[in-house]
Amino acid sequence: MGGWMGRILRVDLTRGEWREEALDARLAADYLGGRGLGARIISDEVPPGADPLGPQNVLAFCTGPLTGTAAPAAGRFSLSTRSPLTGLIHDSNAGGTWGVRLKRCGYDALIITGRASAPCWLFLDGERVETLDARPFWELDTWAATSGVAGAAQGLVRGAAVGEAAAAGGGTVAGEEPAGVSVLCIGPAGTSGALLAAIIVDGRRALARGGVGAVMGAKNLKAIAVAGARRVEVADPAAFQFVAYEAQKLVSANPVTSRALPQFGTAVLVNLMNELGILPARNFTASQFEAAGALSGEAMAATLLVRRAACWGCTIACGRVIRSLPGADDADGARDAGSAGAAGAAGAASARRDHEEGPEYESIWALGADCGIGSLEDVVRANRLCNRLGLDTISAGATIACAMEIGTRGGDGPAFGDAAAQRRLLRGMAGREGAGADMAGGARRYATRHGAADLAMHARGLELPGYDPRGMQGQGLAFATSNRGGCHLRANMLSCEVLGLPKMVDRFASGGRAGILIVLQHAHAAMDSLGVCKFAGLALTDEHWARLLTAATGVAYRTQDLQRAGERIWNLERLYNLRVGSGGADDALPARLVTEPVAAGPSAGHVVELLPMLAEYYRFRRWDGAGRPTPPKLAELGLAGLEGLADPAGSEGSEGSAGTEGSEGGDRHA
Amino acid sequence: MLEEFAKIGRDIFQEGMVSSHGGNLSVRVGDRILITRRGSMLGELKAGDVVETGVDKDDWGIALASSEIVVHRAIYQATSALAVVHAHPPHAVVLSLLQDEIIPIDSEASYLLHRVPVVTAEKTIGSEEVARIVPEALQGYKIVMLRGHGSFAIGQFLEEAYQWTSVLEASCRMLYLMRALEGKPREYRKGSDSYGKW
Repeated sequence: MGGWMGRILRVDLTRGEWREEALDARLAADYLGGRGLGARIISDEVPPGADPLGPQNVLAFCTGPLTGTAAPAAGRFSLSTRSPLTGLIHDSNAGGTWGVRLKRCGYDALIITGRASAPCWLFLDGERVETLDARPFWELDTWAATSGVAGAAQGLVRGAAVGEAAAAGGGTVAGEEPAGVSVLCIGPAGTSGALLAAIIVDGRRALARGGVGAVMGAKNLKAIAVAGARRVEVADPAAFQFVAYEAQKLVSANPVTSRALPQFGTAVLVNLMNELGILPARNFTASQFEAAGALSGEAMAATLLVRRAACWGCTIACGRVIRSLPGADDADGARDAGSAGAAGAAGAASARRDHEEGPEYESIWALGADCGIGSLEDVVRANRLCNRLGLDTISAGATIACAMEIGTRGGDGPAFGDAAAQRRLLRGMAGREGAGADMAGGARRYATRHGAADLAMHARGLELPGYDPRGMQGQGLAFATSNRGGCHLRANMLSCEVLGLPKMVDRFASGGRAGILIVLQHAHAAMDSLGVCKFAGLALTDEHWARLLTAATGVAYRTQDLQRAGERIWNLERLYNLRVGSGGADDALPARLVTEPVAAGPSAGHVVELLPMLAEYYRFRRWDGAGRPTPPKLAELGLAGLEGLADPAGSEGSEGSAGTEGSEGGDRHA
Repeated sequence: MLEEFAKIGRDIFQEGMVSSHGGNLSVRVGDRILITRRGSMLGELKAGDVVETGVDKDDWGIALASSEIVVHRAIYQATSALAVVHAHPPHAVVLSLLQDEIIPIDSEASYLLHRVPVVTAEKTIGSEEVARIVPEALQGYKIVMLRGHGSFAIGQFLEEAYQWTSVLEASCRMLYLMRALEGKPREYRKGSDSYGKW
């Protein structure tokens, strides 16, 4: 078998047991891996009534058949679970090196069930699976915890006994990847149960969205270190090398992947979005921000950039390593490692850092423009705080922006532009203290509690990212129909509505958008399942991925087969969401975006024309008028067995989707 | 939408890739198909020259639709295409009579197409046989040649399907010129011996 490793590791934290299983070849062929395999696992194993923060929820870390191969930008993995923030089936996706090292342990997936009786962390290298005491690291921020866990894991790799491992390592400089091992961990936000908690990967990337960090925290799991060193084999090396070479030629020739992203990172979008009137400002009350230039990728390159950073196997290198700002927030919100006993060495290492990961476009937008904050230094500090505390920058920033608008309207909340208040609230969110505690459940819950539900800019409970869809009609449909809620990664219409990839369309036109979006949704589902980066996908087509997959696995995939796999994954996710009560009524956007025209700028006068696009979308998908996949469609996709599990009654209202409301505010974790 | 059809149709005609009344274009919108009218002139499409009917089912629009609609429908049913361009690019058609595949020698087509398969049918216009073999080939390729007849290209946009058609014909013209010069090209592409396996 090539591409796939053929084994899954299952760890039961309640019983302290683990076992290996063979990867089901049929499931692998149909769902590919990554997000697709994870969706099937969650669909099969997490019942609709399960509390996302209870032991019944599952964490499925899945690599794809191209993860760790020589395909362009193939260093990614996904985490599937049921989101405590939205209640929906959810996956987050990250790069770095962690996924590659998990796969090199010999596993396509790591499935974690149950709940440990005491704080623990996991170590695996393909031969051993160790559950270790995480009490020395539990309260540490993600930098210190990554460093401490990495040091202990390196000790295990060198042969130290488990009892000695925690003291054996020397740690790493925070923000840098440890040699030989990769670590993902949660910070104070995850251990406190904040529903905006992220998981930080390799100290610098993130499984950010949906509150996945809280799920780890609820399982008493602080970190996972992986140290696999096996080779990832492909079925036909010569064919694989040829297709990978041809694909890389296009990545190197496309100005987006060879110049724009490498030079300026994702922040290259700040000025572009602003020029087009798509950059939401002050909680989407405007679509341009007067200080965009100061927050731009160009400004960052001119002032703070030290060097570019790449995930494993990527030539695009969109990551930014920037100079750390003096007098920032080292001791804020989280206990540093210096006094943490066995992790002391890690703490010392942490204090030595003089550079760090710079903010991405979405973080700059959420912590900057959306909150009315126009200082790049303030945004960098807030971004660092989120990374160390383990918070989703988009949801955290957007929730504070919502509070700021409520405050501006005379309610209880800070004013737009108050960076000090923002930092205070971020610490409060993570520690669930003070005013920030009220925001730890995200914008929808916060705004509803404050009698201003319409001011929460979300879809299905997930805060929207940094694109005003009134200036991108297709993006509005993408947000409304996204299976994980307000998200630009299920399908980003930026490609054809702004970048002209593969062809430019009129971004203000709504007719014909459904078909384009659906093809993109399937393509993204496939890429998330293969273990590759969507940025490489900007230069490539499904055809390249299909040929790479064929050469890697020895299973013949045509372009259309990849699209079909994406469609199967999309419909499976939709079925799960219907089961938990989120159906057609939730295919919606905040009222502001469909009723309030943009006041000024290039998008002036426009609202999202959602309803006609949605009707076209359902017809295209062959779903019924309530947004449910029809029996013939499910049969065509091999999902007929799951049809009866959908709950038609639940799709009539959105309240049911708050199956997670019971855990909102962390009643169990207060 | 008519504007887009007219622009692409005019360019295809002006490039000499169809005769006065040859070729046809379509797009899929949900369960509907918009397709050029039977007997329309791609170089001069006007109101009434783009007709609408079902992707799966006939209705009154079928009376006016291009005779190739059976192939267009089969392509939409078998692939994720949102647009189809069918043309009769002369250099590509001639090469399709001489060989079983077209492997470009120029950079642009090498990057974009790598290899274009040639399929054969006994009845080459609007037949069930073509509706079976062309969509099957398009599940793995974005453009294919039907021997002696013409090209079928797919894309998310008409412009995209048109691009594959134009790139193929330009590439075949270069192949023709090279052969006319009876020269042996100097290979400049690493791994070009693998293009036949694309």
